[in-house]
Amino acid sequence: MHRSLLVLWRSLGSINLTVGLCLLLTADLVWGYFSLDRRMPLFTPLNDMGLIPWMQTYGSHNLAATGWFFLLLALLTLLAVNTFVCTTNRVVQLLAARSDGRGTGHRRRLALKLAPHIMHYGLIVILAGYLASYLCTQVLTGRTLVPGSHLSLPGTSGQVTLLAFEPEHYRGTRLAFWRNEVITARARLLLDDGTSKQEAMLSCTRPVRFQGYSLHLRDFAPKSLDGMKMKTRIDLYVRKDPGVALYLAGIVLFTLGLALYLYEWIMYREATTE
Amino acid sequence: MAITTHSLFQLAGALYGLALLAALMPGRRGPLTGFLLALALAANLAVVALRYHQAWPMLPMHLGAMALPLCLGLLLPWAAGGSGTSLEQAVRRILLVLIVLLVGTALCFPRDFYLPFLKSKTLLAHGFLWFGLIGKACFAVSAAWALASLPLFRHAADRQPPAAAMHRCQRWAALGFALWTVSMFTGELWSYLGWGTPVVWEDPALTLTMAAWFFYACQLHLHLTRAWSLRARALYASLGGLVLLALTCLPDFGPFRTPF
Repeated sequence: MHRSLLVLWRSLGSINLTVGLCLLLTADLVWGYFSLDRRMPLFTPLNDMGLIPWMQTYGSHNLAATGWFFLLLALLTLLAVNTFVCTTNRVVQLLAARSDGRGTGHRRRLALKLAPHIMHYGLIVILAGYLASYLCTQVLTGRTLVPGSHLSLPGTSGQVTLLAFEPEHYRGTRLAFWRNEVITARARLLLDDGTSKQEAMLSCTRPVRFQGYSLHLRDFAPKSLDGMKMKTRIDLYVRKDPGVALYLAGIVLFTLGLALYLYEWIMYREATTE
Repeated sequence: MAITTHSLFQLAGALYGLALLAALMPGRRGPLTGFLLALALAANLAVVALRYHQAWPMLPMHLGAMALPLCLGLLLPWAAGGSGTSLEQAVRRILLVLIVLLVGTALCFPRDFYLPFLKSKTLLAHGFLWFGLIGKACFAVSAAWALASLPLFRHAADRQPPAAAMHRCQRWAALGFALWTVSMFTGELWSYLGWGTPVVWEDPALTLTMAAWFFYACQLHLHLTRAWSLRARALYASLGGLVLLALTCLPDFGPFRTPF
């Protein structure tokens, strides 16, 4: 039993498996591009309804267009396992060899040797973050606010009120197509958690975080000083996403590993080659 | 303004073509090639600057088709510089052929008529575009070095072994991979801030971005582990790299229009 587990562990950590999986992932994603072309509406609900409900509806009923995505999930799962096993084996070896050397120079070399493994763990954390995001995100769809109206956040005592929509319009001449259009959309919100109130400014790429939810500006009106006069309103994406922290941490980890790896490449490998 | 951009890009294309002809001519035509390339780059830079002028602070849509030849041209002195061996000359020619093909395709299949959108008014969007473009140019250089290491392109008198060419191929692939990764991360952050999710299922191009990432992750693993022979790795990096380059450029091209 112990021996077969060891064989399984070694097989799962094989570099040949990594190469095979990367090749399959490349081919699958290229297939995905041609499947997605003109069929994006099938995938758009994925962000709102989460992975499982999407798989049970859009996914399973349009397998000709979504088959590649199911294969992608399976390949990414295998890659995460393969990466974990392979890099853990190597990290254990590196740490076991640590006792052979002393001094800051040795420790620095060890840190640089760990760089690819930091990237590998970063990748696993990113993938785990995506999975958590697509499995557990709570999305409040169709949230529209007009000035003075408010929105209650489920499971909390938090309330969000739109105080005012304060857009900045383009007045210049350089962007002829944008004249009198909104160039910066800003919405002033009142965040009330039941005990205190504070104001926050929401814009297109500046979300507001409140009571575990993030509020993103989806759309707004009016968009222009000219044309048909529309009533002031903002549409929101309201999401409670437990995966965000995880995949942001993964991005930081991967970037750290990448920086160390490039440093090692330039300072040691290239210097040796020259 | 659109006519000026198009005319300038036509001029850049003609100058790139002349630089390629000069590079293909027998004898040492380095200064002439360099001069024509500098003129072409100036015209191409003006095109990109004009497109930015028409969209800033937002992101010009589908700028990649016009900006990738510029990135490749700017990298050319580093990519194929040095002592001027026949291998380096081969790389220079391959890259010039690639640039001319890219400009020709961009002129025949333009997609620069879309207006910019408000959510692209962030530095993350610009970072996503430029890190990606420079990364893609590095991938093209990597593929060119791999192609030059194949027997078909190697001059009999060249004493540089294919391993040296593959070493340079890997160096460019590693740099491209790092930039491509940074581009993907900035894209994810932009996507999170704008739409609340790291992957926005509204553009099929995202799958090709991920495909390129896995392709080069595989190439780096193959190099580090020496799992395949040198020749197999050269074939993978050259032919695979060129196919991937063509695929990742695909979303920036539109329907056919006569270039004149």
